[in-house]
Amino acid sequence: MEPIVVVTTFFAASIRMAIPLALAGLGESISEKSGLLNIGVEAIMLCGAFFSFMVVFSTGSFFLGILAGMLGGLSMSMLHALLSIRFKANQTIVGLAQNFLALGLTSFLFLMSFGQTTTLPSTKVLGDLPIPLLSSIPFIGQVLFSQNLFVYLTLGCMVLAHICFYKTDFGVALHAVGEHPIAADTAGLQVHTIRYIAALFNGILGGLGGAYLTTVKLGFFQENITAGKGYIALVAVILGKRTPFGILGAALVIGGAEALQIRLQTAGTGIPSQLFAMFPYLMTIAALLLTIGSAHDPAALGIPYDRDKR
Amino acid sequence: MKRRDDEWVSLLIVIGATLLVAFGLIALVGSNLMVAVSSFLRGIFGSSYAMSEVLVRATPLMLAALGVSIGFKTGFTNLGAEGQLYMGAIAITATALVFPGLPPIVMIPLVILVGFAAGGAWALVPGFLKARFSISEVIMTIMLNYVAINLVGILVRTGLKDPAYPYPMSPILPESANFMQLLPPTRIHAGLVMALLMVIAVHLLVFRSRLGFEMRAVGLNGRACHCSGIQVNRATILSAIAGGGLAGLAGVSEIAGLHHRLIEGISPGFGYVAIIVALLGKNHPFGIVFASIGIAALQIGSMAMQRTAGVPTSIASIVMGALILFLVIRDSRQSIAILEGV
Repeated sequence: MEPIVVVTTFFAASIRMAIPLALAGLGESISEKSGLLNIGVEAIMLCGAFFSFMVVFSTGSFFLGILAGMLGGLSMSMLHALLSIRFKANQTIVGLAQNFLALGLTSFLFLMSFGQTTTLPSTKVLGDLPIPLLSSIPFIGQVLFSQNLFVYLTLGCMVLAHICFYKTDFGVALHAVGEHPIAADTAGLQVHTIRYIAALFNGILGGLGGAYLTTVKLGFFQENITAGKGYIALVAVILGKRTPFGILGAALVIGGAEALQIRLQTAGTGIPSQLFAMFPYLMTIAALLLTIGSAHDPAALGIPYDRDKR
Repeated sequence: MKRRDDEWVSLLIVIGATLLVAFGLIALVGSNLMVAVSSFLRGIFGSSYAMSEVLVRATPLMLAALGVSIGFKTGFTNLGAEGQLYMGAIAITATALVFPGLPPIVMIPLVILVGFAAGGAWALVPGFLKARFSISEVIMTIMLNYVAINLVGILVRTGLKDPAYPYPMSPILPESANFMQLLPPTRIHAGLVMALLMVIAVHLLVFRSRLGFEMRAVGLNGRACHCSGIQVNRATILSAIAGGGLAGLAGVSEIAGLHHRLIEGISPGFGYVAIIVALLGKNHPFGIVFASIGIAALQIGSMAMQRTAGVPTSIASIVMGALILFLVIRDSRQSIAILEGV
């Protein structure tokens, strides 16, 4: 293969690997900006992956499937929001418990529907959708504009989120309730409502990230299909400093590591594949070390807001 | 007295709600409820062997959960018990294979020590990074789990591989590294005794020592501790090391007591379930004894239920998750006070 083709396919693959991380990471960043720390991204993505697969499998409609994935993610993020806001629960513990719940629930429902099978039930996957004209630009056209719908959707979400965060009143409100809920409340902002809205976006985007795995990337579901992607999305949030393009960049770096390790695994080097499988995780650890000294968390992150308390 | 009654009533509601979830799921798969429940109970209490299997499974859970609970005391949210367990397992395997000639009297303490050190070292990294640079230990410990699991995969194919077989596993360890079988037809081994001794040790450390007092104080209010001269970073790091070490012992115990060789997947998520166990046991060593036996029974029982009534074992994860969520709701009034410390 020509070197340019190798580079092009590698970049295209990196982008595809980065999509679920970027979507879920963007959702989580909205949640965290409002002060809700949800480490149950794994649960959101798992439910998104499972329910979108089930609906695509039974109806054949990608539209309905993706919608179901968003609803699946939404159910998890809203449960987290309810327990964190209404019941002022420890958000980390709720997120953890939800990860257990979702892992059990999705594999339970999957086994219930299909039983123990040797061949995994599978569906068609959402195909590529090259954009006319743009896709014929050399290199960039191949990397960016010959992708599937989710890639364009993700890029669109990033731009919208950037505008929303930094150019709108809602963005100001979002930051305010996460940094200083008492002041925000005094200024007339509905702290709890804004946090629920943030959780809503978290569920929808995380659910989309999960749906991507089954409807675009794989076309099948299996137990624990996310395999820690939800946690890696949390890393992308920190690395990207909760800015949309930062998260996209972080997701691309991690996605690139993932694409590289798959390349190397299949290259048949005789080295145990686990060495390569370990690579993206080591990469995220190294990247986390680079954030030393520059990380800034919202001041009220993980702390429930109680109007009657000071 | 009134308050006490309230607590019992709310606890009964939690148990009732959890059972309702479980029964609903059983009904959903279309299994006969009576058959499912009776196979669940017979899976646990049906024979002395079944009961012994609960204790066998409770052993690593107890050790790892003790480790998780020590971290929780200082606010070190250790989700890395899984990786620390695997590091302990690697340590005992490597040690026993490198020094096969040692007599048991030297070998056993050595592998326990090395296993503890390996698990502790694996937790030291996120502990240090949290204390010194406030890097999220939640993410760091999870990432290190994946690294450790892959490390086992590499080692059983390279350095620690048994050359006599084509499979990815280590050779059988020398007998001097085996834990004693306590009640021979059953698989109960000395690891259980070690776990119970550790329960006492953790109790003494946390509630009867100066360091334990400092750890608890740091968990409640780090800033106040710093101002009153307690070394916050030291307490955090030490709780991380001790916690990781205990999880490492869970790995030692699984190898020395059950598998006698390193293979992939020796832990079906013990390190993650241990977090649930620690939470259910209210982070108290004695509570963890009961919680680990209870969760082990839940898992053993649901395996029997899958065999007999066709209910997938994942019901155990759902029940654990739901139980924690219900408890969180129940504690929401009291938890406000606790939360402000965390």
